[in-house]
Amino acid sequence: MAARIPPEERQTNLVVALMATEIGLTKQQILDNISGYRQRADAGTRADALEKMFERDKDELRTLGVPIETIGDPGDPNDLREARYRIPKAEYDLPADIEFSAAELAVLTLAGSVWSAESSSADAQAGVRKIRALGIDGDEPIIGFAPRITVRDASFAPLQSAIEDCRVVTFDYLKPGEEAPRRRRVEPLALLDYEARWHVYGIDLDADDERTFLLSRIVGDVTATKQSFDAGLREGAGERALAGLEAVAARNSALLEITPGTEAALRLGRRATAQVQGFSVPFVDVHIFADELASYGPEVRVVEPAVLRDAVIARLEATIAAHTDAVGVDAVRAERGVR
Amino acid sequence: MADKPKPLLASDRVRAYLTLVPYLLERGQVSLAEASDEFGVTVDEMRSMVEKLTVIGLPGDAGYWQQPHEMFDINWDLLDEEGVIEITNDVGLRRVPRFTAREAAALLAGLQVVAAVPAVSDSGLVAGLLAKLSRASANAPAEVVIAPDTVDAVRDAVSSALSRGVAVSFRYQAPDAAATTRTVDPVQVLITGGQWYLQGWCHLRQAMRTFHLDRVSEPELTDIPITHADELLPEAFTEIGDDDEVTVRLPERLVPLLGDYVRADNSEVHAGVVTVRIPIADPRSIKRVAGRFQGRLEVQHPDFARAATRDWAADALALYRHP
Repeated sequence: MAARIPPEERQTNLVVALMATEIGLTKQQILDNISGYRQRADAGTRADALEKMFERDKDELRTLGVPIETIGDPGDPNDLREARYRIPKAEYDLPADIEFSAAELAVLTLAGSVWSAESSSADAQAGVRKIRALGIDGDEPIIGFAPRITVRDASFAPLQSAIEDCRVVTFDYLKPGEEAPRRRRVEPLALLDYEARWHVYGIDLDADDERTFLLSRIVGDVTATKQSFDAGLREGAGERALAGLEAVAARNSALLEITPGTEAALRLGRRATAQVQGFSVPFVDVHIFADELASYGPEVRVVEPAVLRDAVIARLEATIAAHTDAVGVDAVRAERGVR
Repeated sequence: MADKPKPLLASDRVRAYLTLVPYLLERGQVSLAEASDEFGVTVDEMRSMVEKLTVIGLPGDAGYWQQPHEMFDINWDLLDEEGVIEITNDVGLRRVPRFTAREAAALLAGLQVVAAVPAVSDSGLVAGLLAKLSRASANAPAEVVIAPDTVDAVRDAVSSALSRGVAVSFRYQAPDAAATTRTVDPVQVLITGGQWYLQGWCHLRQAMRTFHLDRVSEPELTDIPITHADELLPEAFTEIGDDDEVTVRLPERLVPLLGDYVRADNSEVHAGVVTVRIPIADPRSIKRVAGRFQGRLEVQHPDFARAATRDWAADALALYRHP
């Protein structure tokens, strides 16, 4: 009888039980009666250990989207001794008025296939599976197109969690040209993929203003603090983030001379507007754009602004220095030489 | 659906049960093979999950164990003899649960990416789906925005060649090479990092090739039906004929910037510096990659690739010194 009941069995039993009750179950009823807890209670597991297990189970189920409601004492909402727990059907069920057509399922199936990161891919697949569980079969799959979303930044997942939980985060951020990273305290509001780079948009609490950070410049771990922020700040944050970067790009314009027919001409062509002499190309970040322009070598020359021209020249000089020593300049030594 | 089924964690199993039960109830009888494919698990794992479903049920009452009708049950004979799953008694979990915040976020971002695919944008379904997913999510998903992509004439032409199943011909300007005219049986369009690549059978090279669409101009649809659609696709960014190799060194923290070039089997780390051997058709072409790294990536070998990298930067610098 003391056979160990695996956690998934106990947690699934808990979901079944809490959905079957209208008035809710007390913690005691749960621990005494639900299979998985009661065997442990019978085997002599201490009450506080069982209660902790129940708390953990509740948290894990909430992460799975299961809405566990706590009904406290109406006279004293903070007194949870006699609290009852239940899962309201209306909040658990996929709303009955939402329907998906076969054509929509085909689009979602393609949308669910784009993530190369394992965890997001599993989430997307699980979402598509729920729609198929409604009994819908998709149209013929959309073939011939393989769109991909790639996330290489370790900070993506903790930032996504912090946004979901409305938690202030701290991280060290290294701006190019600065000697050392600086600690930032941020209310993260949205993640944004812009020009194939991931950004987090939020409120920088020390600057007391909105900021957009490049994930690739975050050094070390992102830490979620205990401090939370108003969920209302998240509304429309994605649009504000996108509009913000587009406004920056509209303000920053480089004047470039580009050799026709070259790789630079082809790759920049999509973004370039012809001017009397050369082309103007908008950019968001001077350092990232300088990296790109340096890769085109003599196919492109920066006329203005000076800050971009200087950044490209510095890169070219550093590349030459790294490849000039006959014995081979140590890559790490070369790094110190870069401004 | 998943490529390689992996062992599930406890929370994965709970999540699977919450969808598996309504899925089975909706479909009546489902073979083990079909269900395991749908849930991305092995057949053995699915069989074990279904068997264990029968120990799940409503709570007992006042110290009594549950009655059989208070537990899930399945058609055991059907499972043992034919490998078919059928739930014969259910005690809950009949409805499909809402999307988790993560599921909704992953699909919402995916939708923004596929919105640029002509077959999807023509359907006009994206806006409605975005709204439905948001409303069907248990908690507000973290907003994940993908900046919208534009479809130009080249992308459009290649897409219609693909959907019509005909070859497309175009002018192709590879870096550091003379432009060529190619006729290609389109097999797949790969969209990644805002860039579009056509993968298909090149009539000129008589082999599968990957073409960056920014380098394509003057596209024209032919009336030649495609004949090589079943050939194996090239791996995303290895060009066939990558028989040469270049060795580079860079600080470990910059490795993500090299993306797909770095794999476990072609790189080694020593004291924070990574050495990578990159397969490449023309070692000189590493100069463009190296140019992005502010001198922090060093081309070590072969010497002529190292010299090409230096000369590339030096020629560019000369534009500023002697305008």
